[in-house]
Amino acid sequence: MGTQNVSWWGQQRNRQLALIVCFLLPSLVIFFLYRILPLGWNVILSFQSWSPLRPAEWIGFEHYVEMWEYDDVFWIALKNTLIFIAASPLAIAAALGVALLVNSDLKGASIYRTIVFLSYPLMAIAVGIIWRWMYDERGGIINYALRSAGLIDKPIGFLQDFDWALPSVIFAEVWQILGFYMIILLTGLQSIPQNLYEAARIDGAPAWARFFRITIPMLRPSLFLCVVVGILNSFSSFDLVYIMTNGGPGHATELLITHIYKAGFVQTKFDYAAALTVVQFALLVALTFVANKAAGGNAGAVERD
Amino acid sequence: MTRWWASRWFIVPTLMLLVTLGWLVYVGRHDNGLIEGRIVDAAGQPVAGATVRIFDRGFVTYQERGRTRSDADGRFRITDNTSHSVQLEAETPALGRSKRMEVRLWFAAQDVRLTDPLRLPAKP
Amino acid sequence: MASRSKHATLLGLRHLTLMVIAFFMLVPFYWVIKTAITNENIYAYPPSLLPQNPHLFNFVDVWYLIPFPRYLLNSIIVSTIAVVGNVVFNAMAGYALTRQFAGRNLVLALFLSCMLIPFQATIIPAYLITAKLSLLNTYFGLALPMLSTIVCIFVFKAAFEAVPRSLIDAARLDGLSEWRIILRVLMPLSKPAIATNVILTFIWSWNNFLWPLLITRDPLMQTLPLGLARFLSYLEDTTGALYAFAVMVLAPSILVFLMAQKEFIRGLTSGATKG
Repeated sequence: MGTQNVSWWGQQRNRQLALIVCFLLPSLVIFFLYRILPLGWNVILSFQSWSPLRPAEWIGFEHYVEMWEYDDVFWIALKNTLIFIAASPLAIAAALGVALLVNSDLKGASIYRTIVFLSYPLMAIAVGIIWRWMYDERGGIINYALRSAGLIDKPIGFLQDFDWALPSVIFAEVWQILGFYMIILLTGLQSIPQNLYEAARIDGAPAWARFFRITIPMLRPSLFLCVVVGILNSFSSFDLVYIMTNGGPGHATELLITHIYKAGFVQTKFDYAAALTVVQFALLVALTFVANKAAGGNAGAVERD
Repeated sequence: MTRWWASRWFIVPTLMLLVTLGWLVYVGRHDNGLIEGRIVDAAGQPVAGATVRIFDRGFVTYQERGRTRSDADGRFRITDNTSHSVQLEAETPALGRSKRMEVRLWFAAQDVRLTDPLRLPAKP
Repeated sequence: MASRSKHATLLGLRHLTLMVIAFFMLVPFYWVIKTAITNENIYAYPPSLLPQNPHLFNFVDVWYLIPFPRYLLNSIIVSTIAVVGNVVFNAMAGYALTRQFAGRNLVLALFLSCMLIPFQATIIPAYLITAKLSLLNTYFGLALPMLSTIVCIFVFKAAFEAVPRSLIDAARLDGLSEWRIILRVLMPLSKPAIATNVILTFIWSWNNFLWPLLITRDPLMQTLPLGLARFLSYLEDTTGALYAFAVMVLAPSILVFLMAQKEFIRGLTSGATKG
């Protein structure tokens, strides 16, 4: 096609390129403004001393030193976040159990699936309020059940006790996320080719061997996704913690994200909060990397013949 | 696009819309703020000329909003209620003050005719 | 047959376990509904397992005593903006990604890397950016970060790629412009993708708490999650008003979820199958 006499716009290829750019532009702008730019700005802000009233000053690693040496709440929040993350393998295992039970043409399987998954699309605030009420010392059903069963004589203030608060919040979070794990694992289970099991059965392999040699390895991508979601959840459980305990009693349930929120928007120390965010993000990337390695690289993807 | 009207995406919102419209029509016809009731004494006889006070529900407390008197048959009528949850109290100097009766409505200013009377504690 | 009865017991055991699990998953719902409709002092011990003198007037109280209609309206507006924006922008971006162009791999890598950045890692600069754009405390500002999501872009991309090329080529031969091709050929054939996009965006924007918490200044601009959190301390009396509020807030989510279960699950698992 002769292009000498046609302007830039006249060439169809360029017109199509312009169209593609136009189509990509809105999404790219959103992601640039709200994902990429914030990431960079966080890093820069963490090395500055800045408040809305004063111009920025470069202070280097001062915020990080303050975090490391003087900020006890940071270390508590870090510990709590790690405990939160450590609870997710248990939740994933439980969800795997439920998925295995539901994975068949059992009558009513879809009803069970819906019931277990029902908790996931709910507002975390409402879930927090529901569980706060369930944990209540007087009107809550958990204390009532425990006392009726004779396991305890006096009610336990689950959300007011220093030792019980974090497990209680974690338990509520697991209740909500269990359905999500179950759905992911169910999808993974249903994509395992049945002939593998047939061949193993013919070879005389017992059920537990079939499970550990076939099911678990073939589920690696789904398990990896669940682990990543579990890690992300410990960073995003702001809503639940805020409404159930607001980090209390006395920082027992303080997570990194609640500490960031309080530092940034309650104490308006935006620069320090940015430094905390950078540390949190670095931790997230590091943990995902470790999980990837543990899953055998490539996000646990399974080689299929 | 056959039978697009049979899908749940159409049926459910339409049903909800119809129910909402029906409810709005019902509310529109019955929200005149009318409360009718009667007052009896401890013996069950109607009491004329008793003062009836109406309290509107605030967030934590009830605020007095108005008063009226019962007529010769012991009946009273309040016509300017704007709240959805009120308390009523009747009193005469001679027979004392009745207990506060809670009236909870389905919507603000719903017309209601009370079934139980306000009971004054003493007999003449 | 021994194996048949063994099979039957295993089946029975399976059902039993599933019913126990379902029971534990449903107890919180029951407990909160029971508290919302009961007419007794909810803090009395021992709590009754069944609602005493049930009545629905707590719901009426919630409607009038707190600005529930206002919060509902705000949530609906913000979610509508987010859903409409999402469908349009994601469809455009998904279509653009199905074409070959210079830098396509770069753009793909960019999108995939954005998936790794959780919203919580961006809150401080996102707040400052929105303030600079003078969009604080506005509906558009509330919806802005949610106007495009990577998962949904890939959902559209996969749906568009599944349309047979012959249809697209025939449309192009007929002289249709690119826009027309998208609107007339690709979108009608991608209805599941649109539904997935709508439901995912709706749920995410409806439940969003942290962003409205940061952005709204005016109590009247608050969305439902924010209103619920704000009234937590006000409504803690001996009646079930707070829990009636929670039930009213949850009802739309549950209704929408039950209607659109399949699409919602499909949207979530499409991320698992490596978009």
